Amino acid sequence: MTAPETEPTRDELLAMAYVDGELDEAARVEFDARLRAEPALLREVSELRQFGVIARQVAPPEPMDYEWERLDKEVLYGGSQRLGLFLIALAAAGFALLGVITIWASSLEPVPKFLVGALLLGLSLVFLATLRGRLRTLPHDPYTEVRR
Amino acid sequence: MIIVTTFEVPGRSISTNLGLVRGSAVRSRHIGRDILAMMKQIVGGEVEEYTKLMAEVREQSLDRMVAEAQARGADAIVGMRFASTEVARGAAEFLVYGTAVKLDPE
Repeated sequence: MTAPETEPTRDELLAMAYVDGELDEAARVEFDARLRAEPALLREVSELRQFGVIARQVAPPEPMDYEWERLDKEVLYGGSQRLGLFLIALAAAGFALLGVITIWASSLEPVPKFLVGALLLGLSLVFLATLRGRLRTLPHDPYTEVRR
Repeated sequence: MIIVTTFEVPGRSISTNLGLVRGSAVRSRHIGRDILAMMKQIVGGEVEEYTKLMAEVREQSLDRMVAEAQARGADAIVGMRFASTEVARGAAEFLVYGTAVKLDPE
């Protein structure tokens, strides 16, 4: 037995019209202002956009798609890839840490030591800020579901 | 929104030319995907990671062009063209452009 379908709310209808570009200028500006203030509404618009992007991928899957899916589930293939990437990331982080320790323990003058430290700290801060930005905007990026 | 690569919409006549509309985007995959793509370049075959990258950036550019056309009140985009470049290693740029038009009622 399927659940009875509920009528879309006024906000859901507005979001659909917004995504389809059917709102007039005044209504669109008003809706834009609401999107800045209402995360739930923004999520609704993101989901509709994602649905729209997926819906136009009308080409049927190719035979090799099924084989890729099977391969991804195999421990030998998927597991090796994930473990390999983890080990590469671990080694990169280890080398970075080793570099910091080496510079810290070196006989460099305090000023160059400070500059190298500032550079590494700056790069780390910029990377973390960029990563945070990506993670925050990821749920609103409908194109991650596009395959080909 | 009707989007065609021809300069007219079959069966419809153009009433107003609303000018050039375009959409562009630059996207990249994360470094893990770049590593997997590099391995696939060694063994051959389709590099799915980059197929997906190009598809993502193509769809995003297309949506941006359509959004611009909708904002101008267009019914269709004629003469649509795609162009792509590599702005940085592992990052693809797509540019989509065309002419936004209003059509006479059917």
